[in-house]
Amino acid sequence: MASLSEEVLLVVKKVRQRKQDGTLYLMAERIAWGPEGKDRFTVSHPYSDIRCQKISPDGKAKVQLQLVLHTGESTTFHFANESTALKDREAAKELLQQLLPKFKKKANKELEEKNRMLQEDPVLFQLYKDLVVSQVISAEEFWANRLGGLNNSEPAPYSNKQEVGISGAFLADIRPQTDGCNGLRYNLTTDIIESIFRTYPAVKQKYSENVPHSLTEKEFWTRFFQSHYFHRDRINTGTQDIFSECAKQDEKGLMSLVNKGVKNPLVDLLSLEDKTLDEGYGLKQALPSTSNTNKTVKESSNAAIIKRFNHHSAMVLAAGSRKNEVPADQASETSSTDGNSRDSDFFQPPVKKVKLQEAIEYEDLQRESKQKTVALNLKKSDRYAHGPVPLQSQKYTTSQDIINAVNCIQQEMAHYKPNLTQVMSSTAASSAIAALSPGGVLMQGGAQQAINQMVPSDIQGELKHLYVAAGELLRHFWSCFPVNTSFLEDKVIKMKSNLERFQMTKLSPFKEKLQRQYLGTNLTGHLEEMLQTAYGKFHIWQTRRMMRKT
Amino acid sequence: MKLNIEGLLVYFPYDYIYPEQYSYMLELKRTLDAKGHGVLEMPSGTGKTISLLSLIVAYQKAFPLDVTKLIYCSRTVPEIEKVVEELRKLMEFYAKETGEVNNFLALALSSRKNLCIHPEVSSLRFGKEVDGKCHSLTASYIRAQRHSNPDQPVCRFYEEFDAVGRQVPLPAGIYNLDDLKDFGRRKGWCPYYLARYSILHANIVVYSYHYLLDPKIADLVSKELAKKSVVVFDEAHNIDNVCIDSMSVNITRRTLDRCQGNVETLQHTIQKIKDTDAAKLREEYRRLVEGLKEANIARETDVYLANPVLPDEILQEAVPGSIRTAEHFLGFLRRFLEYLKSRLRVHHVVQESAPQFLKDIFEKVCIDRKPLRFCAERLQSLLRTLEIADIADFSAVTLIANFATLVSTYSLGFTIIIEPFDDRTPTIANPVLHFSCMDPSIAIKPVFQRFQSVVITSGTLSPLDIYPKILDFRPVTMASFTMTLARTCLCPLIVGRGNDQVALSSKFETREDFAVIRNYGNLLLEMSAIVPDGIVAFFTSYVYMENIVASWYEQGILENIQRNKLIFIETQDAAETSMALEKYQEACENGRGAILLSVARGKVSEGIDFVHHFGRAVIMFGVPYVYTQSRILKARLEYLRDQFQIRENDFLTFDAMRHAAQCVGRAIRGKTDYGLMIFADKRYARADKRGKLPRWIQEHISDGSLNLTVDETVQLSKHFLRQMAQPFRQEDQLGLSLLTLEQLQSEDMLKKIAQIAHQA
Repeated sequence: MASLSEEVLLVVKKVRQRKQDGTLYLMAERIAWGPEGKDRFTVSHPYSDIRCQKISPDGKAKVQLQLVLHTGESTTFHFANESTALKDREAAKELLQQLLPKFKKKANKELEEKNRMLQEDPVLFQLYKDLVVSQVISAEEFWANRLGGLNNSEPAPYSNKQEVGISGAFLADIRPQTDGCNGLRYNLTTDIIESIFRTYPAVKQKYSENVPHSLTEKEFWTRFFQSHYFHRDRINTGTQDIFSECAKQDEKGLMSLVNKGVKNPLVDLLSLEDKTLDEGYGLKQALPSTSNTNKTVKESSNAAIIKRFNHHSAMVLAAGSRKNEVPADQASETSSTDGNSRDSDFFQPPVKKVKLQEAIEYEDLQRESKQKTVALNLKKSDRYAHGPVPLQSQKYTTSQDIINAVNCIQQEMAHYKPNLTQVMSSTAASSAIAALSPGGVLMQGGAQQAINQMVPSDIQGELKHLYVAAGELLRHFWSCFPVNTSFLEDKVIKMKSNLERFQMTKLSPFKEKLQRQYLGTNLTGHLEEMLQTAYGKFHIWQTRRMMRKT
Repeated sequence: MKLNIEGLLVYFPYDYIYPEQYSYMLELKRTLDAKGHGVLEMPSGTGKTISLLSLIVAYQKAFPLDVTKLIYCSRTVPEIEKVVEELRKLMEFYAKETGEVNNFLALALSSRKNLCIHPEVSSLRFGKEVDGKCHSLTASYIRAQRHSNPDQPVCRFYEEFDAVGRQVPLPAGIYNLDDLKDFGRRKGWCPYYLARYSILHANIVVYSYHYLLDPKIADLVSKELAKKSVVVFDEAHNIDNVCIDSMSVNITRRTLDRCQGNVETLQHTIQKIKDTDAAKLREEYRRLVEGLKEANIARETDVYLANPVLPDEILQEAVPGSIRTAEHFLGFLRRFLEYLKSRLRVHHVVQESAPQFLKDIFEKVCIDRKPLRFCAERLQSLLRTLEIADIADFSAVTLIANFATLVSTYSLGFTIIIEPFDDRTPTIANPVLHFSCMDPSIAIKPVFQRFQSVVITSGTLSPLDIYPKILDFRPVTMASFTMTLARTCLCPLIVGRGNDQVALSSKFETREDFAVIRNYGNLLLEMSAIVPDGIVAFFTSYVYMENIVASWYEQGILENIQRNKLIFIETQDAAETSMALEKYQEACENGRGAILLSVARGKVSEGIDFVHHFGRAVIMFGVPYVYTQSRILKARLEYLRDQFQIRENDFLTFDAMRHAAQCVGRAIRGKTDYGLMIFADKRYARADKRGKLPRWIQEHISDGSLNLTVDETVQLSKHFLRQMAQPFRQEDQLGLSLLTLEQLQSEDMLKKIAQIAHQA
């Protein structure tokens, strides 16, 4: 057997493959088959390679199971144990059914990830084309060291994705269908359940309390839909209903939301009026306090609907933004002097001031609307001013040093007196100036400025690609040093040959092309230099190794 | 920029100006020059406040002897604070341009609830509690008692203010409510009393309507404000209702019961005082014989704002002998109370005028008119003498006394209606005596008489001529300004039919009609699919909204709307609505979009702005007529017809349309803003309704959009929204709806500007 550490989940004997009898093994990460009497597998597929499984129809004489791979190939197993063939096949199928999705996700994810990286990064894509498609290195080698880095930093790009909120109408999406015999069917998906839980935490709590010990999942949802809680006239929830408590909790939640008050003073209706009329004055009568009791049932159920819509919308909104709530709170707390103080005055003014300023702003009357800037929140302003503090901080000049230096220079300049006895003659000075002007003797190097005009842009582009590709290969090469494992030894030899291949297939043709176009400047010189350095290093390493071996 | 408004140098704290602002300032200047009153309608969001402030401040600086004070009245606390912030901006600009240190004192005044810094008192939730508690710590006799009893708690902030605060005037500057509190904390002075004291010498005072219009408060706070003041009522479209509210009284059985309790307490207190300190009562008696001469002298020298509850005539006389002693007065009150109780024991509705009431009371219990008129004054005097700590407890008896004075003073403009039960619940006895004011001019009259210029302004004052009529004054300027627009950023549409050609209307006959409700639902559903961010929908009344929401729920319309947007609904509970409002804004802010269902005449429609994405569309379901079956309203309509020759229907329509305009106007708060205004009722198409909308809305209603179906509305809205979503830069506006100083000075432009103001 290949390796003992592998966990075998299922063994099915008497399975034929290509007319050979054998045994099928389902292991933790792969499915394998070995012919009878041999101790090795002739067929072995990691689950991640399998796209799907197919089974033969029940009526057929042969009981078969087919695996279709991502590559398009397929393998068919024939369960030949006459008495238990069907049972064996079912067992294998069930297990596969559980296993495949796990691996599928992983495989897809990897592929997707690679795809995404190539799409998002044109430089990488070009590199991929240069190195992999032209078969300088293999795809695995290419990805080996990229994905490694990627797997570590994986959460970063993913967490940037926006949290998906909840549709406001998720309850409406559960359309009851009549099943023909006086019943209703509700189709629930995991999404909807998730939405219900996120919007109504009380229901979730009930769910975890009751399912599965006192109710099955199905019973739970049946009761949910039967309960008045789901329906609009919530006021009538009976006591025997398990959801009556939820309704009460919702009520409490709403009350606490209301009591919390509003942060924005401009929408606070309670403090809108400056001076209310005293009781007994005015035309509009305050509603008598008895009005609640003599409301009709219809009126109070209408009021319940309204209340419920407000609550529902608030909860949906909160479910969508629950994640970012915490940092927001912290931010507001740092800006306020004292968040928890009893007197709301202490932290009200900032919000209030901002809102008032916003309200009186006429942006089009101002000459230029100032760029709205985001306030920089600095924990340590020092670090912002100087960047990361280096280990030998002495080397860096602090801003004070710089200011001192500038002051010094200013002073010197202020007291500067030309030493007239030691000046150059005017002819010498003018010749020096001529020599230093563009085109002068000392400014020969200035011709190089023209290189980007001399070389056509397609050549420039090609050169860029070559640099990128060479850089990539060299990175691989140099990353092997110091060579301390046999794996690295192999790799460094391989990389050397890769480099040589690169020079042969890419660099030399480019060089010839340049010569054909009579571009005199040696554009590839630096590239070659880099390669030579690498070869040199390789030689040194090799000779040393030889010496050690001998 | 610096402007030349007919020879007056006006500093305007912006680099550009809207043409209508310039025009507005011209009209305002003319009003001030003429020392008369003005009615000015200016579209919302065109910088009305800053124009007003710029001009009046400039006027004050140029003619410090002609205009000594600006009294700016607004409606809500946030509005007041906004005005002060704009003023601060203006003053900063002055300081920057002229380099002088600002010597203006401007401050906001609000109730104790918003200004108190006493740790215990300010933690109370309701304004009335704060007032009561404050009074129990600061009343003069409480403080007097402290001399003998050092344990008596007093407010240290008030003590500190009383000791030193009055000597040093508040240093010049701009004080918002929070600034006053800060200042108070620093000095240890009470900000409320400091502000009340400082408004006497402040150059600019910003406070709410009630401080001028409610006689009970005006008497305390605004009595001594200088005559040469300019008074501005901003957001004044509802001013008549504020006036009426402040003069109307409702008396229920509960009021009478509490009043009975008050009288008992007074009796006890009098008995106690009589045993211990009879001299005090004698002193009071002597004072009352002297009469109200003091008050009379003050009014003659014109130091005080007239108190409509305390009319001139009674100041000439002494308090009548029958109620001069405390016991007699209490007996008098008892009799009056018993009489009221007997009146409430009716089984059918009674409506009568004040003279009828007086005649009846004379016949039944022999109460004369004269002592009734002194009732309020006499009670005040008694409460002072008896050193009652908590005035709030005596609100019931104060109410009755005020009622007695009012009913005996005014024979015209008031009506008394006694209803044995609420119309909706005819089986439950709940008798109420409504003493309702029908003439808003009574409350505002002293203001017009006393101050040299009163300016009434708002975004929606159409039709302009009705306000001078119902408030009974003669303005020197009346103007309505249009909104100059570089792009038509408002889109009023009148939806008259559903897709099935059913006429849409909220009128009483079709109110319960399912076809109409369904079509209204469809309209909202379709709009929710095409309008980005926020939609606000207004219904004509709360009951109507409840019914519609319920039937939309049954028809599954709300579920479908939820697919597009979240739904929030105004409730009768203010705290709950505030929460819903905040969540609504949050949902608009994070891009999910939301719909707010709300009620015209409700708190949301009056006080909350839906700027930019908070309101891309406003839908007005139905015409928000007031509940016409109420007897009080009927009486008022009758009065309007008899006294002012305003037809009932005209007034009802005017009232409905001003509320509709208020609702839809909430969405447009500036020229960079844009919004749909959907009037979902076919009655809006009629000329008598449409003609009562403000001009700046009216002129954008095209003949083609008078009777649209839901589908057509959706098409037009889509087109409009797409156009509006294009980038809109300052350059697009420049020269058309936004002017630089040079552009403003060109001949052409001045000619154009002259057309903006539409004299009524």
